[in-house]
Amino acid sequence: MVDPTTRIILSTQRYQQAPRTDQFINVPLEQTSKNLVEFDRSTDLNLAEVFDQERQKSTTFRPVTKFTVLFENALTGTSIYSPFRDNLYYTNALGNSILAYPGGISTTGNTSNVPPNPFVPTIPWEGFPQYPEFDFIRTDNNVPGYTIPPQNHILFKNVSATTYNWSHYISYPFENDYNKTLYAVEPNTSFNWTWVASDGLPFIVLNGSNAQLREISFKCPMMHGLSVGEFVQLSISYGTQDSFQVSSLGDSGSGSEDYIFNIANVGYIGTTFQQFTQGTFKRIINLANSADTVSSYYIRRHKILTTPECSVLVNAGFEQNIYGDKTKCEIKPLTPNQKARTSVKEGARSYTLSFNCDININGLQDNQRRPLTSLFFTTIWRGYLGWTSNMKQGWHFNTYLEDGKPQIWWDQNNVNSNTNIPQSFYYTAIGDATFNNVPTEFFYNELLTTGDTLDGDYCEWNDFEQLERVISTHQHKIKYNQNWFSTSANTATITNQYGYFYQPHNPIEISSFSDYIEEGSGVNVVGIPDYAYYSTLSALFRWRDKYPYGYIDTDGIGVDYPFLNGKHYPYVNTIFRVTPEAYNIPSDYATIGLVPPNITTIADPAVDECE
Amino acid sequence: MNANKIKIVKADLDQYVNIPINMTWDFLGREDSIEEYEVEMIKEVIGSANDFEIARFANNIDLNQDSSINYDFYFYDNISPISAVTVTSANWGISYLNEGFSVQDVYYYSKPFTKSFFKLDFYDTDDEKTQQIFLSIILPVQQGLTETVTLSPTLPPVEIKKPQMVLDYIGDKEGFFIYWLRNREFVDINEFFMTGKFFDGRLGVFVQMTNTPQTQITPNKFNFNNADYYYYKVKLDYNTKTYEVFSTATNLRVGGATTPIKWYEYVNP
Repeated sequence: MVDPTTRIILSTQRYQQAPRTDQFINVPLEQTSKNLVEFDRSTDLNLAEVFDQERQKSTTFRPVTKFTVLFENALTGTSIYSPFRDNLYYTNALGNSILAYPGGISTTGNTSNVPPNPFVPTIPWEGFPQYPEFDFIRTDNNVPGYTIPPQNHILFKNVSATTYNWSHYISYPFENDYNKTLYAVEPNTSFNWTWVASDGLPFIVLNGSNAQLREISFKCPMMHGLSVGEFVQLSISYGTQDSFQVSSLGDSGSGSEDYIFNIANVGYIGTTFQQFTQGTFKRIINLANSADTVSSYYIRRHKILTTPECSVLVNAGFEQNIYGDKTKCEIKPLTPNQKARTSVKEGARSYTLSFNCDININGLQDNQRRPLTSLFFTTIWRGYLGWTSNMKQGWHFNTYLEDGKPQIWWDQNNVNSNTNIPQSFYYTAIGDATFNNVPTEFFYNELLTTGDTLDGDYCEWNDFEQLERVISTHQHKIKYNQNWFSTSANTATITNQYGYFYQPHNPIEISSFSDYIEEGSGVNVVGIPDYAYYSTLSALFRWRDKYPYGYIDTDGIGVDYPFLNGKHYPYVNTIFRVTPEAYNIPSDYATIGLVPPNITTIADPAVDECE
Repeated sequence: MNANKIKIVKADLDQYVNIPINMTWDFLGREDSIEEYEVEMIKEVIGSANDFEIARFANNIDLNQDSSINYDFYFYDNISPISAVTVTSANWGISYLNEGFSVQDVYYYSKPFTKSFFKLDFYDTDDEKTQQIFLSIILPVQQGLTETVTLSPTLPPVEIKKPQMVLDYIGDKEGFFIYWLRNREFVDINEFFMTGKFFDGRLGVFVQMTNTPQTQITPNKFNFNNADYYYYKVKLDYNTKTYEVFSTATNLRVGGATTPIKWYEYVNP
């Protein structure tokens, strides 16, 4: 309200000869009225929509897998180290007993659990290491002379039951290694290659130009990934020409189209395409645009996201695989320690692996600088009990034998097949005594931690297709420490013994890229992702859209895992194979007709529409 | 500046000066902020996803790297009335036979025996007036060590279960792990008070248990401060996903092989 006593006068009239001055009225910005609401807003609360928004926004994953472990105990050996020797699955118990007890087995020995005299401790006993040596969860925490006193090898700690043999992590592919030296053998012809990953895929000319056939045939030791009409850029050249169109695939052999490609023999002369010429090639989709459409080849590298303490490995209920346990009774007189027991050659239990910590992929990019669409369950052999040493790494094409022996790639002296997993060792008093108090190490692989990096699969990437293809899976090879368990009584050399292979990285898809390729210019199209590839020929960006979570297209591409607690719960079944490189069938084992099946031939279960 | 030429004369009416605040621009991001507000309101109305996922907490290893947790359950032998002055702590023993089960019940796993169980309840406080129960762990009687007894004079001695449990990662592990919320935003608690009870499937009753033999309870074995004798303290470590059990009397860690968690049957007068 206006104060009625207020008088406002001109400045010149305030007193005699008052100057003219500016006057101000302080007007408070008081608002006693309200603007009309410009327009009301109303929003429908749609629970499904909110759920989907939360789902698309979430970057946290809680992956789970069920491991079905397929292990084939196929390599026998001998040991004089009593904790190992006394716990084998014997394969020649009678023969070993005759030598170890030259005086026969006395009555005293049978009744008092004391080995009868004389016992010759230097006689090696033959057999398989028992299944607990490879099991995901060790339960042999109460074996006197091995895991508990007296004269024990280690003092078993139950807290480590899940990490004595294997350790489990989550990893993701984060970069490529183009400079890895690789080695492969063509199993039928025994030709071999040593090349660098980025060179491409190796080949050998099967039918050369000198064969005067209509086509020149090339064979690869791994799937070539080519289609008819595409081109190959060879490491060899005919004059100035090094790129040739693929005219057909395969020969008369079944399945050969994946390994053999042919180019038209238009009358090439000279020695370029002579039979058994070796080299490498790169795939080119369109020769007119070779810069954009040539493939690159590399080793995918993984980074570990979790610590071993994060992993929670438990029995998957009572589930067992169809092969069952393989056990037998070791008769007391036919054991070196005169103790009857049941020995286990193979087990059949399944396991569930989850993690106590969350996997947040926010800010993570894959090895092609795209959003992460796959995580990997990384399982690493630990071998804490010391049966093995010097684990090696290679790829699936290294698992074939070379002249009936392990490939030279696996030789102990080949540094290219070394892993970067640190190896440690320990001594045992009884171990030292076995070798007249000369300390001899028991080796094991150390645990990994967040940020550690490992090699992965051998892959091909094509910018034009925006597609990555796994050429060959990464493999680790476990080899016995010959000091403690000798498998050397075979054709392999001492530095390159047979072993077991396993695939350390098993993928779980957490989202998907579209099966179509988007194309657009930066001027006309908004929302081009930062991982798009710029094609210099078409002057357009090319990329694959990332499908939203929960969307599966008509081809079945996409993921629809549970989403709750604000987190994604991806799940996958994993068949984990520990595959022997070869068989080492013992004398009495073959005669009783228990030659095991080859588990490498056991296919993954088929999923059809009924399922 | 020129002196203004406005002359405002006095009047009895309220007068106003209209000062136009001319805006030739819009508030930057007004639409965004409205949308943000909208999201906030939706969140307020229908809530957001809380993380109710659980984590597995295991008993922390001790100085000997032993991870096992040991429970000894003592039952009163009922030889003398509980009110008798001759009753000593020796009247409590680690045997189901004290509780009234027969050797046959235990050896042959009779229904009343197999339906019995131990129940460990976890509360947020030991104040019974305000406490809330947050979780329970059931220990089945099929777990545990064994004792040697005579089933029949004509048969050799047999081994039957006794209420002494060594729980670990492998072997007997039912009740070894505590499964509790991994996210502390919803319920932020890292200390529980654990009570022990035994459900007697033979009688269909719960038997309350104390952490001290009743004869040693003060000031009176029937009249005492419940907070002192009914509980053990369980502390969770969210970083290592482990737990440790402490005595409420001594505040020392218990549960190891040499310091088992002891529960004694409480007998009403």
